[in-house]
Amino acid sequence: MKRRISYKKVFWLGFVLLLALCFGLSGAAHAKTEKKADKKEILIGTNLPLTGILSMVGIEQRWAYETAVADINKAGGVMVKEFGKKLPVKLIVGDDESDPGKAAAAVERLIKVNKVDMLLGGFAAPFGVIPGCITAEKYKKYYHTSICLIPPWLEHKFQWSTVFFFDLDQACSVPYEMWAKLPANQKIQKPALIMEDSFDGRAFAGIFRKLAEKYGYKFVMDEPWAVGAKDYSAQIIKAKSLGVDAILIFGADADCITFVRQMKENDFSVKYMHGWKGTWAGEFWQALGKDAQYILLDGFWSMDFPFPGAKELGERYYQKFKKYSVSVGALYALCQILWQGIEKAGTLDPGKVRQAVLDNEFQTMMGKVKYDKNGVAIFVSTGSQWWDGKQMTVYPFELTTYKMKLAPPWKER
Amino acid sequence: MKKPIQRSAYILVAIVTLAFVAFPLLVDTEESYLVYFFFMCFIYVALAQGWNLVAGYAGQASFGQHAFFGLGAYITAITWKAGWTDFLDPVAMTLSGAGAALLAVVVGVALLAKLRGDYFALGTLGLGEILRVVFTQGGTLTGGPVGLLLPSSSYQSLGPYYFIALTIALFTFLFVWLLMRSRVGLALVAIREDEQAAASNGIHVLKFKILAFAAGAFFSGMCGSIYGYFLFHIHPLGFFSLNWALLPVLMTVLGGIGTLFGPVLGAFVLAGVFELANLYIPEIHPMFSGLFVILVMLFLPQGMMSLGGKGVLARLFPFILGLSNQRERR
Repeated sequence: MKRRISYKKVFWLGFVLLLALCFGLSGAAHAKTEKKADKKEILIGTNLPLTGILSMVGIEQRWAYETAVADINKAGGVMVKEFGKKLPVKLIVGDDESDPGKAAAAVERLIKVNKVDMLLGGFAAPFGVIPGCITAEKYKKYYHTSICLIPPWLEHKFQWSTVFFFDLDQACSVPYEMWAKLPANQKIQKPALIMEDSFDGRAFAGIFRKLAEKYGYKFVMDEPWAVGAKDYSAQIIKAKSLGVDAILIFGADADCITFVRQMKENDFSVKYMHGWKGTWAGEFWQALGKDAQYILLDGFWSMDFPFPGAKELGERYYQKFKKYSVSVGALYALCQILWQGIEKAGTLDPGKVRQAVLDNEFQTMMGKVKYDKNGVAIFVSTGSQWWDGKQMTVYPFELTTYKMKLAPPWKER
Repeated sequence: MKKPIQRSAYILVAIVTLAFVAFPLLVDTEESYLVYFFFMCFIYVALAQGWNLVAGYAGQASFGQHAFFGLGAYITAITWKAGWTDFLDPVAMTLSGAGAALLAVVVGVALLAKLRGDYFALGTLGLGEILRVVFTQGGTLTGGPVGLLLPSSSYQSLGPYYFIALTIALFTFLFVWLLMRSRVGLALVAIREDEQAAASNGIHVLKFKILAFAAGAFFSGMCGSIYGYFLFHIHPLGFFSLNWALLPVLMTVLGGIGTLFGPVLGAFVLAGVFELANLYIPEIHPMFSGLFVILVMLFLPQGMMSLGGKGVLARLFPFILGLSNQRERR
């Protein structure tokens, strides 16, 4: 006999869900409101792209934050003078779904429901960081961030956040500095600029063009490419017909992987290919294997840096994921700055912690860090080359002994 | 004399409205997450009610609400940046709605005259994609892919946003309510049931379809405007996201398409489920939310309002059903 559906149960399920929402949200919020004397932990929130198009890159960021939290807790926590004791740190991660609106919602939730004391930044200016900063600004919570281009961040004149990132001019000068080191018979003659048609892509493209003039280069091909397009053969054939010998490319991981695969399918190779954003994650190597060999990538950090803990952190990351990272050190350093900032402020008051971050110099895995009065601290954008699954640092020159190799044609690899 | 069932409905709407008006006065708007949650729910209610008018009452399923939502946000941002309007300016919000409605009329004349059913739905889906590209390539006027950054220092409190969104939601609710009690509503339902029969009875089918389409677009444009004021950063990826087209559809279908209370119920329940899932299981919340939608579609294909027909909702809230089933009684 056919069983009848109990509509009554379904209705009550919905009703209970709604009630649970009201109690869940208000209950969670109240439970986390602690009195000063009862303060047992420092609550740090962060909005990360756990789902959506940026979820791949969010993995490294999360690991770096969680590792920094585990390490500080292992050392007993962060000393907060106001409470006269060391407090452990608890990290609460909210999913921003790689969407600016959802990022704002995630930060609202972290501030109002989870009652976090302050926040660590999300990923990428338009998707996670700027909406996070705006929301934190509304509620006067400190948003301590990285991975955000500085000019659009400065445009907002934020009073409740700080940013720790590279200078765009410096990052875009890396390939030109690399080309300047090439022997005369291997000089780049016909470079191409292929930049994602997006917030960050356009910002990079403008600087690359400006610097090309300064360094004496002219792009024989300069085209934007759409996010998430699946067929790049038209651009590849055009580049091939123009005799392009170097490509500077900015795009998402998946797009860069597709682009390289289609380059190989069209038997088109260039001796120098340098990517930003989409070529640095370990997933790029995992997807392409040896086809990723010779490709250069941007980065924030290297485990070869001569700063305390850098090598160990890189090894721990490798132990966990069996791949290397050029970002986790910078994000770990971001946490180190926050812990030291709290200790120097002696309180969890967001405004005072931010002021302490602005006023002091910090010893981190990225070396010494000092913020300016606008809340900006700069680090050097690195350049690396994929070699047997590892990102070998090629820039800054003074921090490496590895020599960059030019790529031979596909059939000779 | 009014029927008791109608009187109960008026009382219910008044009580709920008063409760929502009083709520932010009783809590700290900057501390309570529920204020933000209700603010988003009001936006969803207006969007869903707008779609319900077009698809549920007029029978023209549209997947282009994100085009009107994004356009509304851009009109607000452009006029504010140009100095023609101000922060949370009612003129800007009205202009945003009007601009979206105007686009709906222009597009509607072309699409609604030629297409119906699935073809119309696909045509409107294309509209959102076209606008996304147009605004991405819009140069300094639209800020290109970067979008338009608005002065976030203007923010003072969530309270005004809450009340404006509540007003928009109430306005859409009352508009649809009154419209469906008028001759226009009767014409729309007639068109939905049988276009040819409606036309043979002297109803100007295209005119009424465009009217519903434009009204739905007006609501979406206003929602885009208030959400733009809230985010302070208008850009093509976020504001022309397909989410703004699909969520209202999902909410309306979940609540009960072609009913007055269905979109309201659907918006609150679905937003609530998404919210709880995001809060308690952040890493797998899309799976849970998706599962919830599948279950509802499996067990309640006519939406939650259809529970009334089975007796449960009818016994609990007969006045709600009295309103929502008006179209059937006609």
